[in-house]
Amino acid sequence: MANNENQKPALVDWVKEHGTDLAAYGGLLFCIIFFTITTSMAGSSIWSQAKIRTLMSDVIVTALMSVGAVFIYSLGNMDISIGKQIGLYSTIMVLLGNATGSLILPVILCLVIAVIIGAVNGASGEVLHMYSVISSVVFMMILSGVSTIIYSTIGTRNIVLHTVDTSMLKSPVIMVAALALETAIITYFFNFTKYGKYAKAIGANKTAAEQSGINVVKYKVIPYIFLACTLVVASLFQMGYTGAASDSTGTGFEMNVMVALILGGMPLNGGMNSKVSCAVIGAFTFALFDVGLPIIGVPTKMTFMVKACIFLVVVLITCRKKNGVLPR
Amino acid sequence: MKGKSVLKKAATILTAAAMATGSLTVCGTTVGAAPADSDGGKILYLSNINSGVYYDYYKAFYERICADLGYDFEIIYGDPYNDPNGNLTAVRNAYTDDVVGLITTQDGGIESIMDEYPDMYVSALGTDMDSVFDEDGTNHGALEKDHFLAVSGDMFTSGEEQGQYYAQQIIDGGYKKVATVLFPSYAYPSTAIADQAFRDAIEEYNQTADEKIEIVGETTVLDFTPLDASFFLEEGYGDLDAIVGLCAGIQFIYPTMVVAKADGTCDQKTQLITNGYEYDADILADCGDDKTIKSTTITNPEAAFLPIALIDNAIQGKQYADYPGAENVEPGIITVDSTSDFEVIKEKFTDGQTLLENIAVSVEELEMLLIRNNPDATYAALVEAASTETMESYLE
Repeated sequence: MANNENQKPALVDWVKEHGTDLAAYGGLLFCIIFFTITTSMAGSSIWSQAKIRTLMSDVIVTALMSVGAVFIYSLGNMDISIGKQIGLYSTIMVLLGNATGSLILPVILCLVIAVIIGAVNGASGEVLHMYSVISSVVFMMILSGVSTIIYSTIGTRNIVLHTVDTSMLKSPVIMVAALALETAIITYFFNFTKYGKYAKAIGANKTAAEQSGINVVKYKVIPYIFLACTLVVASLFQMGYTGAASDSTGTGFEMNVMVALILGGMPLNGGMNSKVSCAVIGAFTFALFDVGLPIIGVPTKMTFMVKACIFLVVVLITCRKKNGVLPR
Repeated sequence: MKGKSVLKKAATILTAAAMATGSLTVCGTTVGAAPADSDGGKILYLSNINSGVYYDYYKAFYERICADLGYDFEIIYGDPYNDPNGNLTAVRNAYTDDVVGLITTQDGGIESIMDEYPDMYVSALGTDMDSVFDEDGTNHGALEKDHFLAVSGDMFTSGEEQGQYYAQQIIDGGYKKVATVLFPSYAYPSTAIADQAFRDAIEEYNQTADEKIEIVGETTVLDFTPLDASFFLEEGYGDLDAIVGLCAGIQFIYPTMVVAKADGTCDQKTQLITNGYEYDADILADCGDDKTIKSTTITNPEAAFLPIALIDNAIQGKQYADYPGAENVEPGIITVDSTSDFEVIKEKFTDGQTLLENIAVSVEELEMLLIRNNPDATYAALVEAASTETMESYLE
């Protein structure tokens, strides 16, 4: 009797402490079980070969971006220019790929541009004493203009890569391998090196981090550089699936990243509870809805409403502060 | 710490077990089983709009036709910017094993869609599919696929024809001072051609005309935002006789004109000649001979039958004997340019269901052009019935 009385409060405390994880893992588990049963009943299993391909192609770009974005979000920041960066890098890969017959040079160029943008986004907040998101908004507008100029000059809205075979990038096996490799690398740096630890510390309490000797500017720039690399990888898969890019490629991707991370249990204000697993869990949960809801007969128009309701529930569970107030 | 680690491992194992169970479930699932209430499969309609009279009409029309033919019908929504990946994702997420056909209103990614779903028949409505028919087009490979059937185009298939058409309206209307507005050429290449053809036609007219027609300035390009009010403040634009909107002028030009007329920056006599249709009582009250919207050009509703007819024939395995292969079929062009015409349109184009009940060629007549109902039906008859109706057809 005495043992039961002691265990019960510990369990309750554990649930309270890990509510976010439970919501994230539990949500994914629920989705897996739910769609496994319901799609089978609807006559088209979500685990059929065709649907697994659809699932992977839906999830891969969001997951690749989100894994890199964990670093940024752990700082308590967000990057609004992600979508436009994806669009620009995809465009560069197609244009230079057609010009050179290879993706090596375009990928290198994209990496250089991404690192520069990342460095500016990371440093501007501290150097100019403003929210880092503002510089990302500026880049979003600049890149939007650049994209419009490029496509207006070319005289078309869509461009296709003719000279390089991108069929390998459509393979679910390659997608899984790329995601696994990127996740492993980011996890190592995030969990076992000072880059991740300092990023979480800055997100938890920037003043304390600064006063304990952390170079805030340097350890805010480095996460953005990690994000930059993952964005280039994501662009490769985004462009590679259709071998095309357009003036609207990447539109809204920054919102997909935010939703995926929040669905995965990532705290919006960053800090010590940030985890790389949030990105993968959230991206898969997001993709399961996209693929599973139409199979079970939910009209396409209603899928947005369903996802919005679920997102709201998850936010209320995972983003509430201890005093019950949502973060601002 | 040890307890947390054990619980985390348990959660991981549970998740993996659930995924394994799910995979095993596939073995017992009949993949590809069609829903019990449909024999023919499902037709997807990739729409680039989600409201308006034509959206409601196409929805009602295809639901009616598909119900008669034994297909399920589902509307899916393409990428708002015609992004290839966006369109492909929309189709992928909606695709189930019973999908047999796709009617698309956008061309972005169409070749990738057909590569991914090679057994699905594809036809198009309300788009010229420039990227398919253009030899350098990004989707030109779709033309070589025998499952790509046909296109019921976006009004004028030729930019030159469109430009000359509007030039004739200006000449016939007696306008002497006009300006042109259009969408970006990278999105609508034919409108840029139309604008040049319009200018050439006016210039040709001016060579023999007693009173020449002046085209003020270069064309104004709208980047899918409404016309800016400053348009009327520029020299020469405040007293135009007409604005030729080679775009969805009722949505993007008319509201600015109304405000400008109220402000006095736009001459009260300036009229709009454009294309598109909105059922809005206030807008329709300002359409007609001496109103702000002088004329609008719309696609004949019967054109929606062409894509579904070819898909149904293909699924039945019997195509028209005189079917020439995939081509861009110009739809009938309904020009509404008088007060009495607008009254007729207001009555018959009120909403989708009303329009369906009032189309010039009835659904029953159209369905008799299908091979399954009439083995002697011809492609020529289909094109004539689906693509030649004009305003006169709706006045009868």
